[in-house]
Amino acid sequence: MAVGHRARLLRLKSVRHFSKRGKCLTLFLLLAGLGGCGGPREPVVKIGFVAPLTGDQAPHGQDMLQGARLAVAHALTEGPVIPGHSLALAPLDDQRNPTQAVAAAKKLVADPDVMAVVGHLNSSCTMPASAIYHQARMLHITPISSNPQISRQGFDTFYRTCVTDDLQGPAAALFAVRELGASRIFILDDMTTYGRGLANEFEKKLKALGAAVLGHEGITQGDKDFTPILTKIKALNPDLLYFAGMFPEGALLIKQKADVGLAARFMGGDGQFDPVLIDLATPQAAEGIYLTTIGSDIHQTPTARAFVAEYEEQFGPIGAYSAYAYEATSIAIWAIRQAGVKDRRAVLATMKTLKDYPGLFGPQNFDEKGDSLIRDVGIFTVKDGRFQFVKTAAWE
Amino acid sequence: MTPLQLFLQQLANGLTLGAIYALIALGYTMVYGVVQLINFAHGEIFMVGAYAALTVALAITGAPWWAVLAVCALGAMALCGALGWATERVAYRPIRSAPRLNALITAIGMSFVLQNLVMRIYGATDRRFPELWPAVRWQWGGVTVTLTQVVVWGTAALLMVGLQWLVMRTRLGVAMRATSQDVAACALLGIPVNRIIAVTFALGSALAAVGGMLFGGYYGTINFHDGYLTGLKAFTAAVLGGIGNIPGAMVGGVVLGLLEGLGAGYLSSQWKNVFAFVILVCLLLFKPTGLLGERVADRA
Repeated sequence: MAVGHRARLLRLKSVRHFSKRGKCLTLFLLLAGLGGCGGPREPVVKIGFVAPLTGDQAPHGQDMLQGARLAVAHALTEGPVIPGHSLALAPLDDQRNPTQAVAAAKKLVADPDVMAVVGHLNSSCTMPASAIYHQARMLHITPISSNPQISRQGFDTFYRTCVTDDLQGPAAALFAVRELGASRIFILDDMTTYGRGLANEFEKKLKALGAAVLGHEGITQGDKDFTPILTKIKALNPDLLYFAGMFPEGALLIKQKADVGLAARFMGGDGQFDPVLIDLATPQAAEGIYLTTIGSDIHQTPTARAFVAEYEEQFGPIGAYSAYAYEATSIAIWAIRQAGVKDRRAVLATMKTLKDYPGLFGPQNFDEKGDSLIRDVGIFTVKDGRFQFVKTAAWE
Repeated sequence: MTPLQLFLQQLANGLTLGAIYALIALGYTMVYGVVQLINFAHGEIFMVGAYAALTVALAITGAPWWAVLAVCALGAMALCGALGWATERVAYRPIRSAPRLNALITAIGMSFVLQNLVMRIYGATDRRFPELWPAVRWQWGGVTVTLTQVVVWGTAALLMVGLQWLVMRTRLGVAMRATSQDVAACALLGIPVNRIIAVTFALGSALAAVGGMLFGGYYGTINFHDGYLTGLKAFTAAVLGGIGNIPGAMVGGVVLGLLEGLGAGYLSSQWKNVFAFVILVCLLLFKPTGLLGERVADRA
């Protein structure tokens, strides 16, 4: 690209001595040459995909993108989705930033080829974007944004393939109190839609179970230094520290918790379920932490076995959200294929007829709010520097 | 933990952060002193320093930790010093006589360039920073001090004393102080003003590089956008201490670190950043030149 740019500059320099008219003509020809590279466009159906593809949460986003790509590749082996049309994924980057998420949503809505959107990792991004998709009558499936408020907005365009935090939070609380025997708990969250929502659900259940909540505070995403708050927590002497947030901050909390000598156990939510967490936190500090996850262990799910094998062969170890992105993308493609026409309303109407879709986690169905009826919450721990499945959690 | 132990522990936490802020703040204040430019790319140079140290640390194995640390520091200082010199030469010197706003916008542009360059080279995700020193900790009457903290304090103190000596006791330092008073008069007296300004950029950048290395070693992870917020905080520290004043930047950095540490520890961690900036606003309302900043007043 750089070479081409330089060549263009040189060419522009060489026209300097031409007459003004000659200069304009050369420029025009150059631009026409640049513009005409594409050739005639063939009809295409696109599936929008949005997640943080750069920035600190990019590992999650890339896992999702690979899952979505695999879903498209699988669909292509079954012939064209709509006769005479090719199928393409249109990936966009929201950098976990709600403003960018809205911009991406508007861009997808404005593209007449986009028939469905799979996307947004963070609830704070999915929330505002869902309104834009709703307005455009676009089928919108989030693989993984787990804040329950999103589906309570009443948008009939909205679906999600994961369990919500009003179940994950209580599941974590039950496990912490009943299985870990925690009775003095301090809660931290990252003040995002996801983190605060999950932490509140956790706290509510904790109080119902009669455990002592020593405090509930927020930290800022992107911050690095948590030693002051951890020192304060150490002085309160809790037996469990719970953090609802994402892995970059989770890793720092785990590492600095060891640095300040806070002996309490660490527990967190699904946003930290990524091998990068163990690497960033150092395996010694991460040993023995507990995380709740969306769904149970994907490696032990019979219906997902073929998918996991193929994914790991192509991309390496499967990420926490890869399977959900695959599931959401496959369902979106199913709806377009069944509708058989390039029309957003028709795709949406077809989606409402979905029943017992043969998905990765078993027969997939959605309730009237658009939330998946598959509601497993898994519990993982870190042993010998690796995530290890503990059990499928109960949430009531 | 007794309240006193808790307070001392929070003091130690804040002091560590403050030492890093101070090292970065020095670069802002030195550059402002000589050319009245707020070099917004300075935070990025700090981040490049962290990545440079990471690269050096991954390249050498088998040496004792203090040797690795020294080589990392020198490598990062050399690279960032050169980078600081080059940005001045390429981006700021050609427009030095232009209105000040041009230079400011160039600096912001420079910051984008460096950020995206590092993102291209090292990727957009967090990188684990190798452990540059062993995880040793001392208990001292209930207060825990780690070797990390001692390394940060020691390195920062050493560099600041060194800088103070350089500025006050050497010919170069005299020339720098003279340039900060009046560029035109210095040029008339035969001081190579351009070279002095370039050296100032290089020195400030080298200090930021060490700050970057300590930052990486202390927190254990780095990212290409770490320069933004930390740079902004360090700039705040420079203003707090009185921009253009070298001891002011040191004091400002430490004070800001302590304010953040104590604010997050005693009030609320979610208002940590707000707290630091509110203090800054209040101080500037009553003392617009900052804690120690009187020298710039005569130029206004």
